[in-house]
Amino acid sequence: MNARVAVLVFPGTNSEDETLRLLRAFDLDADLVHWSRAHTLPAYGAYVLPGGFAYEDRIRAGAIAAHDPMMDHVIAGARSGKLVLGICNGAQIVLEAGLVPGTGAERTPTAAFTKNAPIPKFICKHVYVKLAIAPDRCAITAALPEGALIPAWAAHGEGRLAATDEHLDEIARGGHMAFVYAHEDGSTAPSATPNGSALGCAALTNIEGNVLAIMPHVERDAWNFNHPDRRAGTAMLAPSGGSLLFKSFAQAVRRL
Amino acid sequence: MNLRVVAIGLKIPDNEAYTALVALRRAGVNAAKLERAVVWRVEDTGDAASFVERVEHNEAIFNPNKHTLTVLEGIVPRPGEVWVEEFVEGDDAKAYFGGKMIEGVTRAHRCVSWRLFDEDGAPAGTDVVQDAVDRLLCNPAIERATIG
Repeated sequence: MNARVAVLVFPGTNSEDETLRLLRAFDLDADLVHWSRAHTLPAYGAYVLPGGFAYEDRIRAGAIAAHDPMMDHVIAGARSGKLVLGICNGAQIVLEAGLVPGTGAERTPTAAFTKNAPIPKFICKHVYVKLAIAPDRCAITAALPEGALIPAWAAHGEGRLAATDEHLDEIARGGHMAFVYAHEDGSTAPSATPNGSALGCAALTNIEGNVLAIMPHVERDAWNFNHPDRRAGTAMLAPSGGSLLFKSFAQAVRRL
Repeated sequence: MNLRVVAIGLKIPDNEAYTALVALRRAGVNAAKLERAVVWRVEDTGDAASFVERVEHNEAIFNPNKHTLTVLEGIVPRPGEVWVEEFVEGDDAKAYFGGKMIEGVTRAHRCVSWRLFDEDGAPAGTDVVQDAVDRLLCNPAIERATIG
C-alpha cells in the first residue's frame, strides 16, 4: 500500500486545493490536514506544504509557521526519511524550519527566501526551472531526466535566496541547489532569474535528499489550461510540464 | 544635521506581536509580554520642534487612527529590547517612506523593535532577549539584531 500524503494547511495557506488535485491525479492517497489536526500527521509518509501566506507572513515569511505544532511532526518525519515538498510559502516554511539546506540546527535557518531584488515587490511571471543536480541526488526528483526543464509560475514577493557568502558556498558545494531558473531553451543566464535569487537558485534540497523546497509554483502549470503557450486543439485538462515534478514525487512516495 | 529616533507602534491590538509571543513561548522563551514597533533612525536637517508633526504627516508610515509615535531619547535599544534590521542596499529615505519624503529627512534606517517583558512587567533580561532573537526574531542570513 502506498504511503499517504498530507497536504498541510496553515492559517493563510491558499494553494492547497490545486496541490491536492494534482497529487490525486497521480493516484496518491492524499488529504488536506489543517493546523488543528496536527496530531494526525505521524500517520502520513510524506508531507506537502503548499503556497500561500501562512500566519500572514508575520515576522518573516514562514517564520511563525516553522514553529507551528504541525512542523514538529514534519521535522521529525524528515529526520526519519519521510518526503517533504515545500512550494513557494511552503518552501519558505521548510527553510525557516532549518530543513533545507539542512546544514544548521533545527529551526535555525542558514539562508532565507527573502524580498525580491532589485525591485522588492511581488512578481507573477511564467518561468522555467532546470534540474541542477543529478536526478537521484534528491528522492523527489529521482524520476526526472537529467537537466529536466519544468515550467512554473513565480508568484512571490519574497523568493530571492539570500545567505552569507559562507553559506552560499556551502549550498553550492554541497549540491543543495536542486533547481535553477532557466530560459525556455534551457540556458541559465542571470536574465532568467526573475527575483535576484543568489546563484539563480529556484529550489533547495537537504543533505539526505528527502526534502525539496521550491519557490515557483509548479502546480500552477500542471494542466494545459494553466500554460500560456497552450496549443490550439490540445485538451484543457491534459497534463502540462509542471506536473512532471509531481509525477516524480508520486514515484518517490511509491518507493517508501 | 541631527540624528533622531522615533518609534511607531500600534494603539490597536497587535496581532503580529501576539502571534510572535505565542511562538516564542512555545519555543521555550521565558517572556510574558511582547511589544512591537517600527523604529526609524533618521538624519534630519529640520528643527526638533516640528519633527513629530513632519513624521505624522507621512501617511505611508503613520496613521493617527492606529499608530502611536514616540521620540526616543537614545540611539540604542532600551533594556529588554532588540532592534532587528534587514540587510538592504542604501538608505535612501524616499525608498523607505513609501515614495513620499519627510521634509528635512535626508537618510533613514528602518528596523523592527521587539520589547520583551517578564511576569512583573519589567524588561526581560539580556539572556531572554538573546534567546528570542536566536529562536525566532532574527534570521541572521538577512537580518542583524542589536540588543539593548
